[in-house]
Amino acid sequence: MVLIPDFYFIFALLLFNFYLLMIVIALPKGALLTDSIKLFKSIGLDFSAFLDKGNRQLQINDPTNTAKALLVRAQDVPVYVEYGQAQLGIVGYDVLREKQPQVAKLTDLKFGYCRMSVAVPETSSYRRTVELPPHGRVASKFVNCAREYFHSIDLPVEIIPLYGSVELGPITGMSEAIVDLVSTGRTLKENGLIEIEVLYESTARLIAHPLSYRLNRGNIHEWVQKLRNQTEASTAARK
Amino acid sequence: MIYQPPAGARDLLPLEVAQKSWINDRLQQVFQKWGYQRIVTSTLEWLDTLTAGGAIEPSTVIQLRDNSEKTLGLRPELTASIARAAVTRMAENTYPQRLCYRANVFRHPPQNYHGRQLEFYQAGVELLFAGGVLADAEILLLLAHCLEDLGIPDWHILLGEAGLTRSLLAVFPQSIRQQVRYCIAHLDCITLENLSLEPQLKERALCLFDLRGKAEDVLEKISGLDLDPSARAIVSNLKSLIELLGRSFSKPLPLILDLSLIETFDYYTGIVFEVVNYRGDLAKGEARGGVAATALQERSRILGKGGRYDQLLGLYHPQGITSPGIGFALNIEDLHSCLLLTDRLPQQTPKSDWLVIPKTPEAESAAFVYAQKLRNSEHIVRVEIDLGGRSPTEIREYARACRIERLAWIQADGTPIIETV
Repeated sequence: MVLIPDFYFIFALLLFNFYLLMIVIALPKGALLTDSIKLFKSIGLDFSAFLDKGNRQLQINDPTNTAKALLVRAQDVPVYVEYGQAQLGIVGYDVLREKQPQVAKLTDLKFGYCRMSVAVPETSSYRRTVELPPHGRVASKFVNCAREYFHSIDLPVEIIPLYGSVELGPITGMSEAIVDLVSTGRTLKENGLIEIEVLYESTARLIAHPLSYRLNRGNIHEWVQKLRNQTEASTAARK
Repeated sequence: MIYQPPAGARDLLPLEVAQKSWINDRLQQVFQKWGYQRIVTSTLEWLDTLTAGGAIEPSTVIQLRDNSEKTLGLRPELTASIARAAVTRMAENTYPQRLCYRANVFRHPPQNYHGRQLEFYQAGVELLFAGGVLADAEILLLLAHCLEDLGIPDWHILLGEAGLTRSLLAVFPQSIRQQVRYCIAHLDCITLENLSLEPQLKERALCLFDLRGKAEDVLEKISGLDLDPSARAIVSNLKSLIELLGRSFSKPLPLILDLSLIETFDYYTGIVFEVVNYRGDLAKGEARGGVAATALQERSRILGKGGRYDQLLGLYHPQGITSPGIGFALNIEDLHSCLLLTDRLPQQTPKSDWLVIPKTPEAESAAFVYAQKLRNSEHIVRVEIDLGGRSPTEIREYARACRIERLAWIQADGTPIIETV
């Protein structure tokens, strides 16, 4: 390794401003993490250290020191990107829909498919959402999506915000229904719930900090293009 | 009971005030050197006045009610007020009008942003009753001079042309045009790609989405598009403007032409621009191949924005006669945060030069007289009176803590004993 005096460091920084700045990418913990890391690995940025069981680090550089990744909760990805602490991020459409962040929405990455659905106990008589009792209760982690949906069908309901294990809402009798993400439907089934309506479908999305995108900071256009090409290639391969 | 300011409101303590005044005083000086005169308009306006231009949503205005039928609002920006004043109160004046301001503005934070700042300070200019390339150039050069005078590091101007973008959008069918515009303004490529558009229109939409970069490159790309005569005229003006700017500033203007920089409402009619600064923390990364890399852990801010609004003045004119106008506003808070990382700002509030201490009750009036004598100097001399109740040792400690260099002990007979700390 060559040691560089500060002066030359600054000088180099000024000269190669746009090329050497390291971009920062916010990655979501949970369901989308493995596929996100696979995607970035395919364009030469390896963050697989996040997948190690023993890993406790919240930010790591890729081995070539080209980019840094932050490991954050899925709901927090658009926050880091909106405030410009990360230039790029991967997040589910469900989170974008729920939080309406001011970020650039660049590409549908086509993985992490799931749907936002209304579910009720199998034993209940409800088979369509319009059959739910007016002023009934609906438990959800996605309060805004739920509110917007019931508003759109003109059904007044009380939304009960929960942070996890939403299925317990109807099981314990606290609510008539839930609005939650469904991917395989196994959790619903094992808890005696059935899906009666799909609000929308969701996949992983590539988002960017709007100003960084406009100014092409850290050459992010090139990275975005690589991610797009890779997504197209793998979608084509799947077909 | 603890009295706190409302969420989003804040108090500025003396040091911050001194630093922000430094910024604002310099800006006002630059404005004056360019022939701009300060105007003061009312903090309160009718809500209708504030929202007439179409750029301000009533929900973003902090509204107030009095006993009249109409709603009042705290101004969220100054252009509406200045436009109103200029066409109604200054109609007899000579043209053009060069007006500048320093003022506080108020904005309701959007939902989900609890506690976000709601009172802001701005400094800005409006150049009214003047259109054309020269007026546009004046405003952009004035902006550049302001930033250079303050010593803002690493600033860029994002420059758009609302008229041109609007005419590039005219090829889209009316039914879908607003959606295309929304997607481009909000950088939502995913929705844009999924709109049902003919292939060549989709190509045009995606081209518009990324129509930004170095001015020459973007202009070349545009000239390859199918343009109507009015759009050609705008492009040719834009070219002249950029050439003129290139030759009229001491260094190349850090300009990025961005034709996706557009609002979803028709407030701006010509050039639009934002000044952006990147506050990069020079977090040193490991050396890579002999060259240092650094993490882009930086915070970008929009320091100010502006543009041309040639339809606005007509909305406030009693006979609806419209006239061109252009201006910009700089955000004092953002300039301040950006300058905090430099050594430009005053680091301390001004200290007092003298502390005058009456040694006995009989000396009190003599102390006031002596203090006033010290103050009556050509330059500012700051003189404090000691208000009693402290021993000489405590007084000296106080003086040291406050960086006061000279003490004047006033004797019973009125004569001072000068002491240097």
